Amino acid sequence: MNRSIPSLVFRICLGVLILTLVGALFRLQVVRGGYYKKIAESNFVRIRRVVATRGEIFDSKFRPIVTNIPSHNLYLTSGKIANLPALGKFLSANFAIKPEDLRKLVVAQRFKTYEEILLADNIPYEKVLTLSERLDEFPELTFHNGTTRSYGYPNHFTGYVGRIDEKEYLLYKDEDYSLNAYLGKTGLERYYEVLLRGTDGKEIIQVDASGKSLEFFRENISVPPQNGLSLVLSIDNDLQSYANDVFPAGRKGCIIVTDVKTGGILAYLSKPDYDPNVFMHSISPEVWAELNSPNRPLMDRIIHASYPPGSVFKPVTGSKGLETGVIDRNTHLASCVGGMRIGNRFFKCWTSRGHGSLSIVDAHRVSCDVFFYDLINRMDLDAVYAHARACGVVDKTGIDLPNERDGFYPNTAYYRDQRKIRGGLNGYKANLAIGQGEVLTTPLQINTFFAAVARDGLWIQPHLLVSTIGRSRITREQVQPLHKHRLPWKASTLQIIHDALWAVTNAPGGTARAINVPGTTTYGKTGSAENYMGKMTHAWFTGYIVTDKPEIVVTVFMENAGGGGGVCAPVANKIFNYYIGNLKRIKTPAPIPPQFRTEEDAPPAEQTPPEVPPEVLPAETPPEEAPQ
Amino acid sequence: MISRRKFDFVLAAYLLALIVMGCVAIFTATTTSIGDFTATQNNWWKQIIFSALAIGTILLLLRLPMPIFDLLILPAFALNILLLILVLFTPAVNGSHRWFSFPGFNFQPSESAKILTILLVAKVISKQHLSEVRQILYGAGITLLPVLLIFIEPDFGTTLVFMFSLLAMLVAAEVPLIYILLMVSPVVSIVSSLWWVAIVVWILGLVYLLLRARLSWIAISITASINIFLALIMPVFWNSLKNYQQDRVLSFIDPLRDPLGAGYQIIQAKIAVGSGAVIGKGWLQGTQKNMNFLPERHTDFIFSVIGEEFGFLGSLLLLFVFTLFFLRLIHDQGELKIKERKIASAGILAYLMFQTFINIGMNIGLVPATGIPLPFISYGGSNLLINALAVGVVLKYINERGFMI
Repeated sequence: MNRSIPSLVFRICLGVLILTLVGALFRLQVVRGGYYKKIAESNFVRIRRVVATRGEIFDSKFRPIVTNIPSHNLYLTSGKIANLPALGKFLSANFAIKPEDLRKLVVAQRFKTYEEILLADNIPYEKVLTLSERLDEFPELTFHNGTTRSYGYPNHFTGYVGRIDEKEYLLYKDEDYSLNAYLGKTGLERYYEVLLRGTDGKEIIQVDASGKSLEFFRENISVPPQNGLSLVLSIDNDLQSYANDVFPAGRKGCIIVTDVKTGGILAYLSKPDYDPNVFMHSISPEVWAELNSPNRPLMDRIIHASYPPGSVFKPVTGSKGLETGVIDRNTHLASCVGGMRIGNRFFKCWTSRGHGSLSIVDAHRVSCDVFFYDLINRMDLDAVYAHARACGVVDKTGIDLPNERDGFYPNTAYYRDQRKIRGGLNGYKANLAIGQGEVLTTPLQINTFFAAVARDGLWIQPHLLVSTIGRSRITREQVQPLHKHRLPWKASTLQIIHDALWAVTNAPGGTARAINVPGTTTYGKTGSAENYMGKMTHAWFTGYIVTDKPEIVVTVFMENAGGGGGVCAPVANKIFNYYIGNLKRIKTPAPIPPQFRTEEDAPPAEQTPPEVPPEVLPAETPPEEAPQ
Repeated sequence: MISRRKFDFVLAAYLLALIVMGCVAIFTATTTSIGDFTATQNNWWKQIIFSALAIGTILLLLRLPMPIFDLLILPAFALNILLLILVLFTPAVNGSHRWFSFPGFNFQPSESAKILTILLVAKVISKQHLSEVRQILYGAGITLLPVLLIFIEPDFGTTLVFMFSLLAMLVAAEVPLIYILLMVSPVVSIVSSLWWVAIVVWILGLVYLLLRARLSWIAISITASINIFLALIMPVFWNSLKNYQQDRVLSFIDPLRDPLGAGYQIIQAKIAVGSGAVIGKGWLQGTQKNMNFLPERHTDFIFSVIGEEFGFLGSLLLLFVFTLFFLRLIHDQGELKIKERKIASAGILAYLMFQTFINIGMNIGLVPATGIPLPFISYGGSNLLINALAVGVVLKYINERGFMI
C-alpha cells in the first residue's frame, strides 16, 4: 500500500465522505424508515393545482352575457382503485361511463396515479346527495365543487368552453393545461382564451390523515391562482335582444349592428341559433340531431358563410367608376330597356320594364343593373378586383372571432388559369358588377364596408371586445391594435355615393323607402341576390343613419327570403327606430360595477378633495387674476 | 498497445460493475408498474448503447500512442473553451444555457471541459523547477477560464467540481498542505462569517497553523487581515444584495425555502429513499416512482429510485462498489511515477468522488440540489462517455507504465 501524503489525504477524504453518506442513509432508511414508509403510502406530501376562475363576459353596460355558476364534479384518483370491475359497474350505472373507457383512462393516467382526474362534470345536486353515501365504498371517487359556464342567451359570438381533448392536451400541455382543464372551443371563449383563462395556483399538501401538519416544508407556501380577466364587449344586450325579437321567425339570416364611431359591434345575431349551454352537459341525441339539422344552427352566418351580395355590392363597382373617371356625377350610361345586350347574350335588369338611361345616383336609387353592366365593361377587371379588396369586401375583416371566412372576387388570372376561359370576359364582368356570378362576401364584410362609407372613408377593423376588466384593464387597442385604413376614394366619390345611398331610402322610386327614421338622415342599399340555394333571392339591406354625426350601420340579411327592400329594410327600420328611441340610454356609459372598482374608480366626490388641497387653490388664483 | 501484464483489470471490472448497475437502475427508474400493467420507456437500452460506445472509446484511447494523446490535449481544450462560449448563445433550458441539443442526445460542453482542464493543468504544473506559488497560480489560472464560462451558464455545481479537482491536483503535486489551507481560507472565512464565535475560532486556528508552518510574519499578518476583512465585509455585502438575489442564494443553500421548485424534488426524493427502509420495496415496486412523485428520476435523482426499491442494503452495496472503485483509483494514482500522470489521475479521482458525494447527498437531503448527475449510474450519454473516458485515461496511464518503473 502506498503511504505517500497525497494518497493518505485522498483516503481520508474518501473515508469521511462515504461514512457521512452511510450515516445519513442509516438515519434516513433504518431509523426513520417506518415514518417515511407511512408518508409514501399515503401521498400526504404533494402539490395540488388550484384552478383559476375563468373570466366572465359582459355587454357594454356590464350586464352579464357569460357567467360562472357553481357545479358539482366527480373526480377519480386512479392510484386508490381497489376493485376496478366494481368501480366500472358503479360508473356505468350512474354516469354512463363505459368500463372499457374507464380502463383506458386508468392506463392513460398511469404516470400520475395520485392526481385527480375529472370523470363527470355538472352533476345535478340531487344526484350528488343520493350518491354521496355510496362513495364510501369507492375511496378513489370524490365530489368537488367547481364552476361551469352559464350563457345568457343563444348567440354565435360567445362560443362555449369544453373539456380539453387529447389532441389539444398534447398541443397545449406546455402552457400549463391539465388533463382536467376546460378551454374555449369556439367564439370569444376561444379567441380570448389567453385573457379569460387566468393562471392556476399551486397548493402544498402536507398533512397526515388526522390533519396534523407534517412540517416538511417550513411554511405552507402556496401560489394563489390568478383569476382570468373578464371581457367587456361592445354588444348592447337590449339591442341584441330587440334584434332577436324583430328577426322574422323561421327565417335564416343575420343582423349586424355596428357603431360607426368605434367600429364596435352592438348587435350580432345569426339565425337560426343555438344555446351554448347545451354544450355544458352531455348532449342528448335529440339535441345533437337538432344542432346538425339542415338549418345548420351552429353556423355563424355573419362570418362563417359567404353569399352573393347582389346589389349591395353596387357602391363598390360605382365608386371605382368614379375613381377612374370613366363616369362622373352626371354621366348617363347605356339605356336600360329591361336589360342590355353584351356580346350575343341579353343581360336582364331586375325589372323588365326598363329604367332608361341613368346617372350613378339614380342607378343606385332604382338599383338598375344595366348601368353597372355598362360601367364595368368600360373598366379593367383587375383594377376593379384591386378596388374591391381595398374596400375590404374580399379579405377577412379580422374580427375577434375564430375561423372567419374570406370573401371572393375573381380576377383575370382566375378566369384564365382556373376556369380556362379563352374568350371575352364581358359577360362575367357584367355579373360581377351587380354582385352576382362568382363574387361572394360575408355579411360582416358588407357591414364593415358600409361603416367605412358612413365614416367618410375610414375602414376600421370590426370588433367585439372593448376592454378587459377584473385583475387588470386592457383596452382592445392594447390587446391587439385595430387595423385601420382609408378607402381609396376621393372626397367627391364619397359625396356622390352618400347621395346615391341617401336616394335609395329617401327619393321617390328608391328601393328602400320602408326606411323612415324621424330625426335622422338615412342612407342604405338593398340587394336581392340570385343564388344556387333556392328559387327565392337572398335578401339584403344595409344602411346607416346620421344625426349630427353618423350613428350606426345595420345590415340585415336573409337567405332565400325575396327582395331586400320588401323583407329586410322593414326589419332594419325597426332597429334604427329602436336605437334612436333609446339613444340616450344606449350611449350613456354605465358605471363600473362595484366588484370591479379599484381605488381609481372611486366616485370623484370622495377623492377629489384630498387631491386638491383647499388652501392652495384659493390662495394662488386671486393674486394672479388681480393684475389683469 | 494494451499490455495484459500491466492492464488494470480490477479497475476495469469495478467500472463495468458500476455501468451495469446504472443500466439496471435506469431500467427500473423508467418502468412504471401498476397491478398487472407495466410500461418502460426506451431510455435503458439507449444507455446500453452508450455504455458500449463508452467502452469502445476507452479501447480506442488505450491504443492511441501516448505522444499523440499528449499533443491533442491543448487543441481539444481550446476547442472546448470555444464550445463553452458558443453554448451561451443556445436557447435556455430551465433558465440556463448548458446543452447543445441534437436529435437523440444532448451534449454538455462543461462535461468534457472537466477532463480536458484536468489534463491541461496536470501538464502545466508538472513542469520541473516550478515554484509552489507558480504551480498554484498556473493551475488556478487555467481552471478559472472554463469555470467563469460555466458560471455564466449558470451551473454553479459544476464549477465546484472544478475547484475540488484543482485542490486534489495541487495535493498530488505535493504542494505543501499549508498552501492549500491558504487557498481555501477565504471560503472558510466567508462561511464562518455567519457566526462571530466561528470567525474568532477560525482566525485564531489559522494563525496558529501558519505559525507552526514557520511562515514569515509578513505572510501571516497579510493572510490574517485578508481573512478578517472578508469575514467582516460579508454581512455588509449580503445586506447590499437585493431581496431576490438573497432569496436565490438562500434557496441554493436551503432548497426547502423553494418548496414548489427544487425543495419539492428534494422532499420527494428524501421520502422515496427513506421509505425504502432496510430492504426496500422490491424490484419495480417503488411507489414514489410509480406514482410519478419523483422528478428527474432516471437522471439526477436516480439514487432515490435505488434507495426506494433496494433499501438500505441496496444503497450500501452501491456505496461499497463505489468505495472499492475509488480505493482502486487512489491505489493506481500512487502507482504512477510520472508527475504529470500522477497529478492528472488525482484530478480525475477527485472529480468523480466529489460528484458521487454531491449527487447522493442531494438525493438524501444532505446538500443543495445542483444538477450534478451520479457518475456511471445516471442516464445520459455524453455524461457516461466523459466519465468513462476519464477512467480510461487512468487505465491508459497504468497501461503505459515503463517496464522498469
